[in-house]
Parts: sequence; structure tokens; C-alpha cells
Amino acid sequence: MTPADEYEREPDGDDALAAEYVLGVLQAVERQEAARRIDSDTEFRRLVTQWEERLAPLSASYAERNPPASVKQALDRRLFADEPRDRPALSRLWRSLALWRGLAAAATVALALFIAVSVLRPPVETQPVRFVASLAAPGSDVRYLAVYDVAHNRVGLSHVSGPRASNRDFELWIIKPGSAPVSLGIIPVGATVHLPSEKAGGLPDQGAALAISLEPAGGSPTGQPTGPVVAAGDLRKI
Amino acid sequence: MTSADITKLILRTAMKDRAAFDQLYRSTSAKLFGVCLRILNNRAEAEEALQEVFFKIWTKADRFAVSELSPITWLVAVARHHAIDRVRSRHPAALELDVALGAADPAPDPEKSVLAASQKAQIDRCLDELDTERRMAVRGAYLDSLSYAELAARHDVPLNTMRTWLRRSLMKLKDCLER
Repeated sequence: MTPADEYEREPDGDDALAAEYVLGVLQAVERQEAARRIDSDTEFRRLVTQWEERLAPLSASYAERNPPASVKQALDRRLFADEPRDRPALSRLWRSLALWRGLAAAATVALALFIAVSVLRPPVETQPVRFVASLAAPGSDVRYLAVYDVAHNRVGLSHVSGPRASNRDFELWIIKPGSAPVSLGIIPVGATVHLPSEKAGGLPDQGAALAISLEPAGGSPTGQPTGPVVAAGDLRKI
Repeated sequence: MTSADITKLILRTAMKDRAAFDQLYRSTSAKLFGVCLRILNNRAEAEEALQEVFFKIWTKADRFAVSELSPITWLVAVARHHAIDRVRSRHPAALELDVALGAADPAPDPEKSVLAASQKAQIDRCLDELDTERRMAVRGAYLDSLSYAELAARHDVPLNTMRTWLRRSLMKLKDCLER
């Protein structure tokens, strides 16, 4: 390092801090402080995201190593201990039930296809179609992940962040290009919830979006959003 | 498994789809275990860390959807930061031992990768524009999770000098990658 180097202005500020966090050189206390800022400071989070992507190609040098089976077993015990297990008789029954349901469903699809073809309609799509939308809005910390399952006519919502005010409800809307928003109902309280989506009217068009508005308890009195949109996002096919 | 496939698995995991989570584990646990092993340099600890990492992936998969990161980058970031936090909170004695172990292992990096080769080539080209020592410091920091103190000791420079070096190197790297 030359003396001239020493007088060169040292880069500082949030961009350098974000880089140091991603690189991993900070001490425990500094890392905790940075992690807190990632959760609370959108601009800092954006800088960290950029550095993650920038340096990500370096991770190609991490060799793949197979973990022992005991890790997944311990993980399953920890995550799914409450779910029924070790009941082989019941599970056989469920399997055979699932098989019969599968056959029945296959028969239904075959029949539907037969009818469709016989009346010269385009073939019915048999693959489940899912759309996903990440719902967020500037100035709001309400975030939801939505998965729209067309085959089962329902929208699954995963609550990422942002509490709702007391005596207010979140209402979910589907917005198709050139049409007024259609309410899919009040979003129930919970980490992972489902809403029926019959009212959405089948496959979303290109450019359809979901939005969440803040409404009086019980939902919009007018049938159209009356409160601010706290999160929104485009539906993308997956 | 493509990036789009992994995205689907993470999104289905966010909806608490256990089959998708199992498949995600099968497809990515070897990579993430590699990350934990390299950073923690201790098998038992790496196994414990991997369990924690997938616990986080199960509980925080919905955060991925709002993170704007590509799926593998998100998964690797979850694993790296968990492993780094573990290293940083270790007892100092354990730390010194691991520095010695780390310093004794300059093995060449296997280039087997799920990442685009062109991105790898680009960052390598930009790292090549840095002095050899600074390049090694950046790689050592990222891959082995060395702290400023450890890097300063390894390169035999004062800690503040190392901080200045690394910050400048990172900004040069950024400029090069954005050219």
C-alpha cells in the first residue's frame, strides 16, 4: 500500500456497510445491528439485496456435499411432530382412498375430455394452473404472498408482515385490465389462509392483479374498495 | 433443476406444501451443506446449522417472494448468514483454532455450479483487476467468512488498513461489474 493510497477517500456509508454485511466481515454486534436495519429500512435492504446478487457468483466455489440422512429426520421431527405418523393401517387406507379418488378424478377428466371433443370444443386443460403474486405497496409494511390455484378455485394467502388496525379488515380484490375490481372477500386473520375464488371468474387474463385494501370491519360497504390499497401485485403464471 | 423450478418449490413451501419442501431439500441440501461445512469447518456444527437453515426456509419461504433475489441466491444467503452468525458468536478460543485450520487449507475451489458460468467468469475477471492480496482477501471473506481481525492477521496488516483495503476493493469490484 503506497502512502498516496492512504489519502484516497475511504468509501463509507450504507453501501459499504451493506457490502461488508454480505461479505461477512463484520463482528457479531455489527451484524445484529445490520440485520435489524434490513428488517426496518427499505433502502438499506435494497443495498444488501444488490450486494447479494453481485457477489452470488462467488458461491459457485462452495462444493456440494451430501448431508447425512439424520439431518432431515431431525428436521422433520421438529417441524412435523404434531402430524399423525406411525399409523400404518390408517395410512394404507388413506393411500387406497387417494388412489380411488385419483381414479375417479381421472375418469371425470376422461369423460370431460370426451364431452369436450365430441362437441368440438378446445381440449380442457388438465394440468393444475397456478398463479402467484407478491403483494406489497410503497409506504406500507403489509406484505402477502398469494397463490391463485385455478384448479381448486381458491386463493391461498401467506401473511408476510404488517398488522391490520383494530376494527378494520383487509379485503382482497382481483383486478382485470379494463374492469372494476371484484372482491374475493375479507382476508381471515392468520399466517396462511384461503379464500374461494369463484367470483374471479376462471383464468386470470394477461395483466390481472390482486390488491388488498383496508376496509371497515366486515368489508367495503359499497362493493368497491373504499380504503387505501395497502398491498398489490401482478399475477404471474408458475 | 432450473431456477424457475426452484422458485416454484420455494413458493409452494411458503404455502406449507410439505411435498414441495421435501423436494426442495433433496435438490438443494447438498449445496447448502457445502456452504455450512466450508464456513463452520466442523461437521457436527455444520449438520446442526443445516437443520436450522431449512427450519428457517420452511418458516420464512414467503419472505423470498418479496426479496427480489434469485432463488438459489436467496437459499445460499440464508445458509451463509446463518453460518456466519454462528462463527461470529463462537468463543474466541474456538475462533483461533479455526483460523489456523482455515489458513492451512488453500485448496483450489471446485467449480461445479448451479450458477451461470458467464456470471462466474465476469466476477472472476473483475476480481483479477484487484491486487493479488486484495483479491484473496475478498474471496477469503466471502467463502470462508473471515472477519476483519482474521483477515488483518492473515495478511499481516493493521485492522484499519484491512478495512480500507476491503472497502475500496469492493467498490472497485462494483464499478467493474456495472461496466
